[in-house]
Amino acid sequence: MSSERNKHGVTFADRALLVSLVLLTAYCFVFTKKAMPQGSEVKIEVSGTLLYTLPLSHDRTVTVQGPMGATIVEIHAGKVRVKASPCHNRICVHQGWIDSGAVVCLPNRVLVTITTPGRQGEFDGITG
Amino acid sequence: MKIVIYRALVLILLLCYSSCTHGGEKVFKKSRLAMDTVVTLTVVSSAEQDAEAAINKAFAEIDRLSKLLDHFSKDSEVTLINRSAGLKPVSVSKETFEVIGKALYVSEKTFGAFDITVGPLMDLWDFREESLPDSAVLKEKLSLVGYRGIILNAAKRTVLLKRKGMAIDLGGIAKGYIADKVVEVLKSNGIKAGIAAMAGDIKAFGRRPDGKPWRIGIKNPRPAGKENGDDIIAAVDLTDTAISTAGDYERYFIKNNVRYHHILDPKTGYPANECRSVSIITADGVYTDGFDNGIFVLGPKRGREVLGKLGLDGIIVDSAGNITFTDAMKGKLELREK
Repeated sequence: MSSERNKHGVTFADRALLVSLVLLTAYCFVFTKKAMPQGSEVKIEVSGTLLYTLPLSHDRTVTVQGPMGATIVEIHAGKVRVKASPCHNRICVHQGWIDSGAVVCLPNRVLVTITTPGRQGEFDGITG
Repeated sequence: MKIVIYRALVLILLLCYSSCTHGGEKVFKKSRLAMDTVVTLTVVSSAEQDAEAAINKAFAEIDRLSKLLDHFSKDSEVTLINRSAGLKPVSVSKETFEVIGKALYVSEKTFGAFDITVGPLMDLWDFREESLPDSAVLKEKLSLVGYRGIILNAAKRTVLLKRKGMAIDLGGIAKGYIADKVVEVLKSNGIKAGIAAMAGDIKAFGRRPDGKPWRIGIKNPRPAGKENGDDIIAAVDLTDTAISTAGDYERYFIKNNVRYHHILDPKTGYPANECRSVSIITADGVYTDGFDNGIFVLGPKRGREVLGKLGLDGIIVDSAGNITFTDAMKGKLELREK
């Protein structure tokens, strides 16, 4: 019997293989976590200042103050919308629920965007 | 056996190492409200800190330029030019002088269909209140419109509007110009690839981290379903190129079944009605932005002639919804079935 082999029949090479597999598993875990999309976030900015970064997965309603008054932003069931706005034509409210992209209220300077780290949409930009 | 296992171990470690070092470049994106629209800057970088620093400098450049070129601002250079109309030439920055010079070039090439002196006409239209201007007043103001009334003095870098009451509005060209300048700032800050999107005026440079060109969608001027949804009629791949779209759906109202929108024909003072949207593709954002309005006003037939003569790429959706494009776009444009 070889001197490398102990009483359970485990060689140095077996141990090396075991260690390398453990390392590989740990690496895959870290790499997958880094590479795969994490939860989507809702960012709410007013006049260029980021006021909230909220998970899209948690339902809640937030009120922010713009130059014209209060804009109410609602997150529900993985979507977000501007529920109420003091602006004149309320384009932001009429846009309704979105699950990607942005809702903008130019008059009240409110920008609501959905970002999903690691997720690349079909388009890098939209013209029109 | 031992050698095989050692080799396997080395291979695994090499694979892990190569995976760690490959794909270090990522896409970073930031949106902000600026120039009364949403500006989104996209950059490719291997470090978030570098990306953020470059983006912040680019936004600072947007703020600087929009302060010069915004005719709504009380103290912009454009406002000063308008206030001095018929009185005296105004000394301006090289940027203001440059963008006005390029606007005049677009005016010449579009036979005045694009004209930054439409300011007095634009003031008569209120798209928020959905009211039509008084036709007599509109007719009177037409006499103040005409790009040949802009006098540039390159030696002194001054701008004079010949007649009192004349006013320039750079809304149809400034965003494309600023997109060009933003790309210069990003490049000078070490960014090799990215996109400057001033709403629909987009300038792309370099390539995505996966080596592919940037993919840009063109909005359907009559979206199905949601009124403001991003319904796409075509996709185009770009690198080191700009694209802009002028559409009759951006600012408009409908009265007695007539759509009144913000792209005015400088010769009539009323909205041009032969197109729904026009997208232009060429190297410089200042020209894609200027020509999209000019070609929109000229209409599909004359518009295509001008594009052909100048060697510009374009996609035109006419008033009936038919899509036509320049010959060079064949094979580059991916039309979506509707």
